[in-house]
Amino acid sequence: MPFLTVQNVFCGYYEGIDILQNLSLNVDEGTFIGVIGPNGAGKSTLLKAIFGFLKYRDGKIQFKDREIWDLSPFEIKKLGISYIPQGSNNFPHMTIEENLTLGAWTFRHDKSRIKEGLEKVYDIFPVLSEKKKHKAEFLSGGEAKILSIAKEMISSPNLLLVDEPSAGLAPKIVSYVYEFLRNSQEKGITILLVDQNINQAIDNSQYLYMLEMGTVAMEGSAEIFRENLKDIIRDSLLGT
Amino acid sequence: MIDSLLLSQYLIAGIVIGIMYALMAIGITFIYSIMKMINWSMGEFYMMGSYLQYFLVVYFLGANLWFLGIPLSMAVVFVAGMIIQRYLLRPMFVGEMERKDEYATVVTVSLMVFFRNLAVVLAGPNQFAPPDYAGPTHIGPLPVSGNRFVALIGTLVILGLFYLIVKKTWVGKALRGSAQNRVGIQTAGVNVLRVDQIAFGIGVSLAAAAGALLAPIFLVWPENGAIATMKGFEIIVIGGLGSIPGSLLAGLLLGIVESLGSILISPSFRDVYGFILVLGILVVRPTGLFGERQRVA
Repeated sequence: MPFLTVQNVFCGYYEGIDILQNLSLNVDEGTFIGVIGPNGAGKSTLLKAIFGFLKYRDGKIQFKDREIWDLSPFEIKKLGISYIPQGSNNFPHMTIEENLTLGAWTFRHDKSRIKEGLEKVYDIFPVLSEKKKHKAEFLSGGEAKILSIAKEMISSPNLLLVDEPSAGLAPKIVSYVYEFLRNSQEKGITILLVDQNINQAIDNSQYLYMLEMGTVAMEGSAEIFRENLKDIIRDSLLGT
Repeated sequence: MIDSLLLSQYLIAGIVIGIMYALMAIGITFIYSIMKMINWSMGEFYMMGSYLQYFLVVYFLGANLWFLGIPLSMAVVFVAGMIIQRYLLRPMFVGEMERKDEYATVVTVSLMVFFRNLAVVLAGPNQFAPPDYAGPTHIGPLPVSGNRFVALIGTLVILGLFYLIVKKTWVGKALRGSAQNRVGIQTAGVNVLRVDQIAFGIGVSLAAAAGALLAPIFLVWPENGAIATMKGFEIIVIGGLGSIPGSLLAGLLLGIVESLGSILISPSFRDVYGFILVLGILVVRPTGLFGERQRVA
């Protein structure tokens, strides 16, 4: 059974202006897929369309053979998809623990599962455990990113959509975040990563897509991308 | 000079009325903080609450069971608010829409005009007064009108319940989350449109509670919500839009200023004292006591 398929999708923010133009890609279960491309290529738009924030105008997006056009973000979350946006998804005036608890919304009536989820997250990210009574607004940039990842991971998703996890973070945190994503994939979570950090995307993904002007300009295994790295970076920078 | 007994009596009257104003303001600010829109027809939900209370008490419950009328009026207005939100406001919040707040202004101002006229059509332009809730009583040594005392206690109970719902329940968590980060609440898997609907229902039912509690004091007529709305917005300016503690404090402040102004200067300029307070706050703290500057980008 195909896992996530995006087929000939046209999608945009305003009528008549499509950011994604006839975009197709496939994500197999258990893989780590990278999507790279220059600014404005439609990388974030793609994730928003998958998670239901944007309705696509034409084409198909299917998750486990289920067409998701008519679903809202909360219904997509229930299917087992989590989305870590590029900007903040935290609640600044709530404590870390409250933030994580809200991340467990989809199974809020199952107290033991919430407890288990919290323990698991605190185990993976000890920094959150130390500060669980702190308000999220007082976290550093790196800690806030870890919280936003943990908040979406607590529901143990099958598919994780990640948008530019390295934007604006210190190098040490960046490598920590990618290591976490890789570990998650090894534990069976499928990852669709959108990134401008081409080196990290190539190092972590198994298969990559390069977007240009809202459509797939190149696709292939990480090896192919690594061999053509120079050309890709030049293309990315110039956006040709 | 004015003796201290009279002064403290007016102080208490000010606190009572102030906390009632705060109920209106909390409703406005609550809806704003979640939906980022201002409900200009808040006073008409106050009016609905007062009419419902009047008809329930006079025709169904009887004067002794007036206290049942208040939760019933709130419940009816809560449901009415949810329906209005669903069909008139929610369509603007689906998908990406620019200038939602302006559409919301047009819709809620129209609702204001509509409901005022509907009240005239249904019940006539007359004033009604439900029977007194309670006879005169005392707070310590101070005599106080029974209706006002009931209004004070009722408001405290309602605010307590409101606090518990927002702080302790899952719905409350979702409400606070939606106010703090609209993207984050959706990635958590919460149906944000449903949250909007509940927030609108709760907000307008607070206005209805104020209307029902104040019905024997400020009476029941089609435009009785206008004053409540005005006070509500005065409080929002004083306390800061989006801050519930700000609304509470500003409500008390406004009530006390109006009350003390009435006795120390002259009761004929009652409404003016509040506006002087508003102007003073705007000069010193344009964002209101608890308001924060909006951070752009």
